[in-house]
Amino acid sequence: MDETLAPKQTGGIFYRVGLFFKPVPLLGYLIGFLVCVLWEQLAGEGLSSLLGLPKMPILFGLLTIFKVLAGIVNFLIKGDAFHWARLVEIPMALVYLTVIYLVPLALVARAAVKPANAMARYLQKFPLIITALVQLGLMYAVLHVWAEVSDYRLIFLKLTLIAVLFTLSLNIINGYMGEFSCSHPGFMAIGAYMSSLFTVGLFASDKVLGDAVFNFSAAYLTFPLALIFGGLMASLCALIIAIPSFKTRGDYLAIISLAFLFIVKSFFENMQALGGSRGISGQPDWATLPVIFITMAFGIWTINNFVTSTMGKALNAVRDDESAAEAMTVDTRKTKMAAFLFGAFWAGVSGGLLAHVLRYVNPAMFSVQKLAEVLAMVYFGGLNSVYGSIVGAVSISLLGEALRPLEIFKWIVIPLLLILVMIYRPTGLIAFKEFNARQVFGPKEVD
Amino acid sequence: MRKFSSGLLLSLVAVIAFTFVAVDAGAADTIKIGFNIPLTGDNPDVGASSKNAAEMYLKKNPKVTVGGKTYALKFFYDDNEYKAESAVKVSTKLITEEGVLGIIGPQSSSQAVPAGEVANNYATPMISPWSTNPNTTLNRPYVFRGCFLDPFQGPVIANFATDELGAKKAAVLYDIAADYPKGLAEFFKEAFEKIHGAGSVVAFESFTTGDKDFSAQMTNIMMTGADVLFVPQYYSEVPLIVRAAKEMGWTKPILGSDSWGGGDLMGLCGDDCKGYYFSTHYAAAGAKGATKTFIDEYTAAYGKTPDDVAALTWDSLGLMVQAIKDTGKLSGDIKADRTKVKDALASIKNFPGITGNMTFTPEGDPKKCAVVVKINDAGKFEFFKSVCPK
Repeated sequence: MDETLAPKQTGGIFYRVGLFFKPVPLLGYLIGFLVCVLWEQLAGEGLSSLLGLPKMPILFGLLTIFKVLAGIVNFLIKGDAFHWARLVEIPMALVYLTVIYLVPLALVARAAVKPANAMARYLQKFPLIITALVQLGLMYAVLHVWAEVSDYRLIFLKLTLIAVLFTLSLNIINGYMGEFSCSHPGFMAIGAYMSSLFTVGLFASDKVLGDAVFNFSAAYLTFPLALIFGGLMASLCALIIAIPSFKTRGDYLAIISLAFLFIVKSFFENMQALGGSRGISGQPDWATLPVIFITMAFGIWTINNFVTSTMGKALNAVRDDESAAEAMTVDTRKTKMAAFLFGAFWAGVSGGLLAHVLRYVNPAMFSVQKLAEVLAMVYFGGLNSVYGSIVGAVSISLLGEALRPLEIFKWIVIPLLLILVMIYRPTGLIAFKEFNARQVFGPKEVD
Repeated sequence: MRKFSSGLLLSLVAVIAFTFVAVDAGAADTIKIGFNIPLTGDNPDVGASSKNAAEMYLKKNPKVTVGGKTYALKFFYDDNEYKAESAVKVSTKLITEEGVLGIIGPQSSSQAVPAGEVANNYATPMISPWSTNPNTTLNRPYVFRGCFLDPFQGPVIANFATDELGAKKAAVLYDIAADYPKGLAEFFKEAFEKIHGAGSVVAFESFTTGDKDFSAQMTNIMMTGADVLFVPQYYSEVPLIVRAAKEMGWTKPILGSDSWGGGDLMGLCGDDCKGYYFSTHYAAAGAKGATKTFIDEYTAAYGKTPDDVAALTWDSLGLMVQAIKDTGKLSGDIKADRTKVKDALASIKNFPGITGNMTFTPEGDPKKCAVVVKINDAGKFEFFKSVCPK
């Protein structure tokens, strides 16, 4: 009994750390991170060679650690030769993480509490959009400097940001509306194909879609149009799911949506004009990091506005009890329709981005495997929460990358983690938490 | 507290000193080659075969001499999960993080096309042993492949059906949803109709990946009275199709493509497949010389006959190492060396691979002979005929 109460009374380590960082606003963390990434550019290479690491740790040292662990696993199972001296890379990677990230972040963030809070308070006098833009600009600067170190980081970051947007768009339906939709990779496929059709068909010469129709140097300015076109086509096709959802719920709707996924996949497989199973390649290289970041930020902003609006509250009402919602004058049909179309739109946009990052799209990319991946991200991160989607997408992407050296054991570790999360936090890590932009970007008042 | 921290500091210093000694020993004078292969995911057999062949190669040739200097070979195996996104990430990682001189893989086109883009952008030579999609190497000077292409294989089979089997009307049954069978089916149709006139492919029936029942398609094929059936499918689907054909009373020959040779065809098909022909990269039964040595050693090491993925990976690796040797001298500047290796690869003439002699065309596709094998009564793939490009 005593022990359960202990942390609050005596102040456990986590509680004290929490208290220490309580007055730090987002702006403070951003400044801290910016210092960290700049510090890494300056000192990272030198420190890693000083620590005897073969290469600068690229994903916060996680990859280095798991590579060594994979070496041990292979040694134990297959008897492959293992250099025991490599074992020191694990503490060294942790030292690197501490010296480059944790300590500067903690120091700078804590030291900058006063100026950061003052600045946040000052920014708060302006409309929310200005506060948000300043802090998002800072966030982009952090990511940009971080990704500058290595192109591997850049591609990882691009795909992770796309995964965040994709996960959040599924969270609208599976989290906020409480349906179980399996059709999302299908929407993504439509978005990917349609935006590729737009860009490759109009602005690039290709064997499948023929010569470029237009040829001007500023063609990349039309990329937003391509993404919107992809998104709109995806939401148009989402009508196929939205209309049956009026009368079907639960497992049956899940089956309908799964069927939709297969329909989309075989449509593109059989559509010779779009390259069939060979797919379309040669998309122009327009999905750069700033484009993806802006799209993702805009996506999160509109989705957050949507789910916190009256319509969003209606979604929750439909999820909790449809007949009660109907009795309380909620137009359930309109609500469901809006949720499906809106979710599909953003899934389509993320598909368009994906196609232009990989610069290749084929139907096999949008299979049940993709579905499992995005469902894992949604349920791992947390239902009904913007934070949850971000955390889920980032952590599953990071885990997937860090555990890659473990090969087949990766597929034991990740599902095991999912099971543990489902047991101890059945709705995901950060579920049902509202994302209040004013509070997030504003100063932290200490009492 | 003080005791604790000074102890910590001391052990840290010791550890750092230790690492310096350990790491500096083996860092220099290695040539790194990356493998972008599916070790997990939908098709782990392909990844396992590639890795087996590579490990065997490394055991046999642990060192390479380039211009009088000896380098140790080092291989990095990275798992692409049979996914396009992962293949792109893995290729980027191998190039920018591990600093490999060249990449072998990905094997399948759906990963090789986007990964080839990455390799070409970073000016790193890449050989895909098994990808048949023309886009993999198209307009990419740094990307090569180890296998012949479908536009060549299609006519080989059409000619074989005409000359050896005397077929006048052919039927085709293929998977429309998969890249490889569909492409090959179309090339076969084109070639066969060129010989016998339009309409001589009397049935062109399709199904979708995962289908198990082929009776509807077989009924149509039986009605047309075709002389020969062409099935460009994978080893797991061939037995089902062959049995469906036999149940319908099909007694005429069935022809296959190189995909028959991947995986455990005879284990799944048994007696049903005996007597049929397929075109492939090499014939395991009755092989001679280097090919026989490879097959024997592989069988001894892994307990199974090498499939064509293993053989092609072996050859691609051989090509890469040959090109590295041909550069004459490595400068140590990885970027310049990569370009040198690419130029050497492009100018390789008649490389003696176990799947035949290879010379690259300017597009990076090899010119090599195809082999038609017969599945004999012992269930072995027996050499029947070799067809070379003109």
